[in-house]
Amino acid sequence: MRCRAAQRRLSDELDGTLDPGRRSRLEAHLRVCPACRAYRGGLARLQAEVRPEAGRSAEYWAGFEKRLEARLDGEEAGRRAVERPFAGRRRVAWAVAGLALAAVAAAWFGLLRPRPILIADWPQDEYGLAPLLLEAEADPELGRAVEGEIRASIREIAPAADADAAALAAADPLFWEGLSEEELGAIAAGLERDNGLGGPK
Amino acid sequence: MDEARRGGREAFAELVRRHERRVYGVCFRMAGDHAEADDLAQEVFLTAWRAIGSFRRNSSFYTWIYRIAVNTSLTHLKKKRREKARAAFDENAAVPVPVPGAPSSPEGSSALNELKGRVDEAVGSLPAHFRASFALVAGEGLSHRDAARVLGCSENCVAWRMHKARKLLRARLRPFLEEVGS
Repeated sequence: MRCRAAQRRLSDELDGTLDPGRRSRLEAHLRVCPACRAYRGGLARLQAEVRPEAGRSAEYWAGFEKRLEARLDGEEAGRRAVERPFAGRRRVAWAVAGLALAAVAAAWFGLLRPRPILIADWPQDEYGLAPLLLEAEADPELGRAVEGEIRASIREIAPAADADAAALAAADPLFWEGLSEEELGAIAAGLERDNGLGGPK
Repeated sequence: MDEARRGGREAFAELVRRHERRVYGVCFRMAGDHAEADDLAQEVFLTAWRAIGSFRRNSSFYTWIYRIAVNTSLTHLKKKRREKARAAFDENAAVPVPVPGAPSSPEGSSALNELKGRVDEAVGSLPAHFRASFALVAGEGLSHRDAARVLGCSENCVAWRMHKARKLLRARLRPFLEEVGS
């Protein structure tokens, strides 16, 4: 056995994994090799210095367990909150987030997204616009005329919405509800005047 | 064990009491510093608590917890190496000068002799995977087979790493070991 192999076997011997055959060959080598005997002595001293517990006191371990307990408490509290997202403050946070998301979705899909003006969506009023509007829905030419009139009327009523008054009306479902009788009357009169349509009954 | 898997805190506390010293020992051998070993050992048990539901009974708990300890420590060492590399580039960074042989235990240096300090320092200088094998086998007394399970390598690999680790340590500590031995 060479010294190099013997040193490898010495490490195995220390770890208790050396089989009897190799052990006897190692012992034979050690009997004639002082260098490897010294090497074994060095490894044995090294092993003796490797303390398994790194020398901590009982107080240390008590403190260690206490700190770990506190951190586990925190973990459990966090886990409970995750499992029940609608509990406590998280409930409020989730509700706010949900509302915000719903508002964004509604604004995009229902309100802000540009869409054609649907006459049937417009509110009825006491001046008899409803029959006209329903009729306009069935007649494209009449529909275009009514839409043009209403756009023009909206520009007069709401000059701030000059870029796209219809879009403003579509964005605000209460727009029509916010109009006074006088304003609605003006729209109807305009339709009557320009297109021979509508007007107060 | 089953109780701990179902989320039983008392059962888990018992597992902690049984394994804390061994886990700490591995972390200390890997980090080479008591304060870091303390943080790492806490992190190991927190990780175990989070993952205990996924623990499979076909492996022993101590193999599992040792694996967490080694992986946590290796991750820590990588992070530490990166930070050290960053600090080396920072001209204004104050680099602490290590005192050779000085023990880092907060519980006082009197309990630790000089050879112990030198051995700890030398172990800390081993390549990380050699250090992990050494911590498990020489430090904690695991068999090559169990260490191989923890480290995810073959028994031969563990045996070879142990041989190389001892050779490196012996070369580094040789004058001192011979002094003590004489």
